[in-house]
Amino acid sequence: MRLKAYWTAFAVQAKQISRYRAAAFGGMVTQAFFGTMLVALYDTLIGDRTLFRETVTYVWIQQIFFRAFFTSDTEFNEQIIQGAVCYTLLRPVDLHLWCVIREMAGKIVNVLMRLVPMVLLLFLLPEAWRIRPPESTLGLVQFTVSLGVGFLSIAQINLIVSAVLMRTMDNKGITAMINLIMMILGGNIIPLTIVPERIQTLLRYQPFAQMLDAPIRMYLHTMSAPEWLLSLGIQLFWLAAMGCLSRGLWSRNIRRIELQGG
Amino acid sequence: MRYVVQAVRMNLRRAAQYRSSFLLQTIAQLIMTGGDLWAVLMLLERFGGMGHWGRYEILFFFGAMHLVFSFTEIADRGLGRFSSMIRTGSFDTVLVRPRGALLQVMLAEMDPRRIGSILVALTSLIVASRGLALRWTAAKILLLLWSAMGTGCLMMGLFLLEAVVCFFSVQSIEIVNVLTYGGRQVCQYPMDLYTGWIRTLFTAVVPIALCLQMPVSVILERQEMLAGMQPGWVWAFPLLGPCVFGLIALIWMAGVRHYRSTGT
Repeated sequence: MRLKAYWTAFAVQAKQISRYRAAAFGGMVTQAFFGTMLVALYDTLIGDRTLFRETVTYVWIQQIFFRAFFTSDTEFNEQIIQGAVCYTLLRPVDLHLWCVIREMAGKIVNVLMRLVPMVLLLFLLPEAWRIRPPESTLGLVQFTVSLGVGFLSIAQINLIVSAVLMRTMDNKGITAMINLIMMILGGNIIPLTIVPERIQTLLRYQPFAQMLDAPIRMYLHTMSAPEWLLSLGIQLFWLAAMGCLSRGLWSRNIRRIELQGG
Repeated sequence: MRYVVQAVRMNLRRAAQYRSSFLLQTIAQLIMTGGDLWAVLMLLERFGGMGHWGRYEILFFFGAMHLVFSFTEIADRGLGRFSSMIRTGSFDTVLVRPRGALLQVMLAEMDPRRIGSILVALTSLIVASRGLALRWTAAKILLLLWSAMGTGCLMMGLFLLEAVVCFFSVQSIEIVNVLTYGGRQVCQYPMDLYTGWIRTLFTAVVPIALCLQMPVSVILERQEMLAGMQPGWVWAFPLLGPCVFGLIALIWMAGVRHYRSTGT
């Protein structure tokens, strides 16, 4: 019974997001352009061809999954500001979990809509500039599992923003700031794999690297079992930490939420 | 002119109304340009320089591009909001006022928050100029200002192009961002790091390389980019900016003449 309610939330949100196909296409062309510009620059900068091919693949995976950094549930944030959130509060469900599921549904659909056309679009580029396939099937499995964990931790960050929103009612400042930090420390602005060695070791273990950077590393190099479990363990550790934080903030703020409007 | 002063004052007063939001968004701007700067510094750290350019020279190009772009954005944020002006029909009120429509739209909204970006850009320019021990002469300062003016006009023209697209469709203007924000992204590095159609696009079609980068390379006393041209010639290139702006403004005005309101 309960489970069914969450499943419905997932399906409804997935359907809702899949309506925005035209917007997805416009965004995709922009993404492809920005990616191509980065690749063109790295082509000149990186002499080592293996490293260059890896960096190209890194850039494209970042561009394909880029949309997942942002919340897909703008409707809920809108509700908080306008006061309509009171209806959602009445639902006999665990609201935090409910929102995680909606967020995940939105992210998955957003990514699936862009995945195939984006990869096709990349075939317009010269061969060296295209994304390369994963090193092995095992690598692809490792990547996919890790990506799921990555999406879950992005969802936690998105929910932390919503929790702050419940108190401050100011949408733009905090959202912009968190999104930027995710893009910078998450490897979208510059691949974390080409950052100088000593800074890279630091960067690898911070929470924002667990979102897309950790999965991409598995795509590029298939890991041995212990190596993979360690990497996944770090991801799960940060997921748990951020999950606790976002749940804590939610249960505190939902009790004192101030409803707007009449 | 009095209208311009009035509009500027009004915009600043509006920004001052929401102090905490203003502060947060200024910091967000700082982080954004700071993130770009961080990426450049990381690349320089890893690769030493870029092509035949040293690290401070790259930093100089970066600073110049972002400085010009942020100033342009402060001035004409209103153009970016043009699509919503058309959608809500508030463009109609603009048309009935006894002032030029273009001027009104451009001054409709200013964005002083870009001060965050300007700080980052200015810092990198100063650090670069000290690191290079650049000998500043009156002619060099004049050339920098002149090319900044030309590039500013060019960028404004591109933002205006975005507004022209709005006459035909209020959606999918994101694609025009490719020229404005994409232009900034590409041209924060000297153009000779790129090859093929990218170089052609930002030299011949959207001449940021001519308006900004060639004058900058003359200021840096490097000849490679000029391809054997006399350095004096670069003074002519920034004029392309106002030309492009004028051309697009003409198209925009033609668009206004054919405009049909969507409002009620």
